[in-house]
Amino acid sequence: MKHVRLLVLTEDLPQASLALADMESFHPDTRPPTEARLAGLPGREYREVFAQANARLEKIGKLIPVPATPEIEQVRVVDFAELQTLNEWLGKVWNETSSYEEDLRRLDDEERLVKDQQAALANFAHLNIDLGMLRSKTRFLDFYVGLVPRENLRQLEGAIGLAGYILHLYMQQGENAHVVIVGPAGTKESQLSAVLDAAGFQNLPIPQELDRNPAELQRDLDAQRRSIDTQRKTLLETLERWSDPFAGPLLEARRTLMLAEPLVSLDPSIRSAGALAYLAGWVPARSAERLEARLRESLNHPFEMSVRNPTADERALVPTVPVKSRLLAPFAMLVKQYGVPEYGEVDPTPLFAVTFILMFGSMFGDIGQGAVIALAAWLLRKKLGGFWPFGLMAGLSSMFFGVLFGSIFGKEHLLPALWMSPLSDPLLMMRIALGWGVVFLTIACLLAIYNRLVIRNWSGAVFGHHGVVNLIFYLALIGGAVNIATAGESTAGVQASAADTFGTIPLLLVIGSLAALAWHSWQHQQAPISEKILVVVIETLETVIGYVSNTLSFLRVAAFSLNHVALSIAIFTLAGMMGAFGHVVTLILGNIFVIVLEGGIVMIQVMRLQYFEGFSRYFSGNGHEFAPLKFRRGSV
Amino acid sequence: MTIIADHAYLNTRVSVMATQLLEPTEIAALAHLPLPTLAERFGLTAILDAQQSTRARSRAVEQSLIQVLLSELLILVRPMNTAERALVLDWGRKYALFNLKTLIRGKLYDLDQKEIHDNLYELPEYMRLSEDMHTDLFRAENVLELLRQLEAGAHRTLARQAREVYEQQREPFALEAAIDQRYYAALQRHVMAFGDPDLAPLKRLVGAELDRINLLWLLRFRFSYQLSASETFYHLVPSMRLLTRDRLLNLANIETFEGILATLPAPLDRLLAGSKNIVEIQKRIGAYAAHEAHWVLHRTRSGVARALAYLMLRERDLLLLFALAQGQILNLPSAAIEIAVELAEPGCPWAGGRAA
Repeated sequence: MKHVRLLVLTEDLPQASLALADMESFHPDTRPPTEARLAGLPGREYREVFAQANARLEKIGKLIPVPATPEIEQVRVVDFAELQTLNEWLGKVWNETSSYEEDLRRLDDEERLVKDQQAALANFAHLNIDLGMLRSKTRFLDFYVGLVPRENLRQLEGAIGLAGYILHLYMQQGENAHVVIVGPAGTKESQLSAVLDAAGFQNLPIPQELDRNPAELQRDLDAQRRSIDTQRKTLLETLERWSDPFAGPLLEARRTLMLAEPLVSLDPSIRSAGALAYLAGWVPARSAERLEARLRESLNHPFEMSVRNPTADERALVPTVPVKSRLLAPFAMLVKQYGVPEYGEVDPTPLFAVTFILMFGSMFGDIGQGAVIALAAWLLRKKLGGFWPFGLMAGLSSMFFGVLFGSIFGKEHLLPALWMSPLSDPLLMMRIALGWGVVFLTIACLLAIYNRLVIRNWSGAVFGHHGVVNLIFYLALIGGAVNIATAGESTAGVQASAADTFGTIPLLLVIGSLAALAWHSWQHQQAPISEKILVVVIETLETVIGYVSNTLSFLRVAAFSLNHVALSIAIFTLAGMMGAFGHVVTLILGNIFVIVLEGGIVMIQVMRLQYFEGFSRYFSGNGHEFAPLKFRRGSV
Repeated sequence: MTIIADHAYLNTRVSVMATQLLEPTEIAALAHLPLPTLAERFGLTAILDAQQSTRARSRAVEQSLIQVLLSELLILVRPMNTAERALVLDWGRKYALFNLKTLIRGKLYDLDQKEIHDNLYELPEYMRLSEDMHTDLFRAENVLELLRQLEAGAHRTLARQAREVYEQQREPFALEAAIDQRYYAALQRHVMAFGDPDLAPLKRLVGAELDRINLLWLLRFRFSYQLSASETFYHLVPSMRLLTRDRLLNLANIETFEGILATLPAPLDRLLAGSKNIVEIQKRIGAYAAHEAHWVLHRTRSGVARALAYLMLRERDLLLLFALAQGQILNLPSAAIEIAVELAEPGCPWAGGRAA
């Protein structure tokens, strides 16, 4: 990755932004330049107008469909004057569109009120009041029948009580309460009106014919709803007719905004002094020359482009180019859950993919169940999106190990095992799992060392966590453990103590590396002697326990391969206790159970091993992804 | 685990922060400091920027003081559990409602976007209106569109009422009163959801604050805005402490300023006896609420109550500081500044009437 610094004439900025977006290789650097004179913000006004125009188009788009990302037929500069004109035009269109939106909202309100009236009508029957009296004011009493938001009810009740009115709640529906308010007619009426307005009271007119024919009323209200539906339909048709001539211009407006977008995206990185504009960014090393050639081709005036390597201080700011391989993409997504590799750091995705597939297959080896997983991933590829290759590969790996283990849907005697069933030699499986753990942890330590060497962190590479000294300690410990384990095998009948068989060289290496780590830790402590001793002892102990427990963690690889066979045996035992039909049903349900439950658990266990035993050793995940400037749609 | 152990860290933080609260004597001393000294002492560099207009400087000072308050709030909520954090963040969220009211007012009076933007508070992420809502509201072209946007969110009922009120009389008062009423009612509900041993100090603290607000609203609505008893009561938030629902119903129905003061429950009757106008009431009941907050801060063990008490007192100090700075930026006479920071009795002609 290279740091690119561009000095162009301010008037060339829009053209430069188009060229950079077209190349899709420029990741803006928002740090201000060191030169104090480059303090102007030339793109600010452009961005404001763009944001308003874009917001207007989005709002219009809710009523008049405009494709979100149309084809850009021709790349051209959108200058400020054009953007302003477009913004004003969009403002006018929105003003008119807005009135349609307002009309639609009013119809929605009317419909809601009719629905409430229908509900109220059904409930007036339960109201123990002479409804005829509620229709009009009497000489002494005022009546109000209507809806009020539930949350305002109690406060309203108190407030109208002060004006001498009483509130009767006769129904609650949704957010609204249906109420009858009764009080003395006369001077307090205006007071009450203000309170009712503040409380959001909606009057429900009492239908004249209520006491005569409710069914007829219901029909009237239905007719009103139909009328509202018709009005809505007519309004939408009018809107469609009205908006028809705008379809083309709005599409063009979208294109114009898409062409203006790169300059807006660059805005935080642009500074200027008079007619000179500055912008900086990160460009993949292989693209720097092409970018310069493209700018030379596009810009009308001279420009200066300087390219340099990132400095050590800038390492954290340099973006990392994500994995582009289609097969590795789903694994990259899982790695991203942990973090993005820092610039220069080894991208763990390929290693993660290989080890993930190997571990999943060995823990869940079965031709039939693997085939189901692979087939399901293939069939659901549209729903799974970019994740389906992950399922396919996991299934194929499971099938491969199924061939080695001779297992098909848990049945171990249908096909001869290419190697052996895990349950036939559990100790061998465990040895292999431990060996795999040692290899995995060693690779992780080597990567951790490499990552530190790349950034010239010599001390970290030698003495840091999982550095050279740690690795020597770990391998010596493993060597000694292997010596102890194999001592009895070579000389049968001869008893030797563990200390004798550990081996002198491994022992010296273990003691020497632990002493080196303790010394290094001691040198870097700023504390009283007693505290230093405590910290060094704890750290040393943690190193020993950590490596031993991390290695033993890999026993789960063997444990799950054994568990898989054991579960299959259990299912066949259960099936054997059933009749013919029950046998088949148990086998089907049992296999579904194994695929879903055990498959899920194995997946979690593999992720755990990858994240905690692998990534935590060598992968900081502190980087950020390369996000180049580009047009909203990939192709131009 | 006991409350002491639970809140050890929070209580320590509050105690450390409480040392920066201003004593009355300090406020008096600050009132006589020249502007550059004041700016240097409280890091208010914006005051000294002569290039900026008076209004911009004043606004920048207010923004930076509120930033101080909200950054301290964020420090205090870190060790809190979910319910405690929600309560304290809700208290701070009133600044988001100020922004909402600014947006509504801006659209009502057809101000341009820059002017509206200049009057919005910059708030931390947790305290903002939701990002989408803020953007949509800000980009609305007129007040009806803004209310439509508002109606699509959590303030649906409010917005519907507002729209109806706006369509009838184009009066923002009812909307703003409703926003405030709902905010305080929700804050009170939050407090009442706490159990022992936080409930009692929180009731005392938030109750005193609600009593203060209720009394001021009651007097303003009745005697300054001349609202009816019914409408006045509707806009109040019955407190769980002194000014309960029944008492407010009774007080709202009283026709005279003196009558209301005479009917107040103890100790408000004693504290406010003889007050001649709302400015004086504001000062006295403000001192009462501050006293209650000091009591909670120094005499209780509930971490969340102490933190909230500290924030209320800190807000009061910072607002006093803002008044001092603004008074000096505007070159007001020192007598007026002293009235603003409650060091002197109001003697302005407009404060002499019954309904200030």
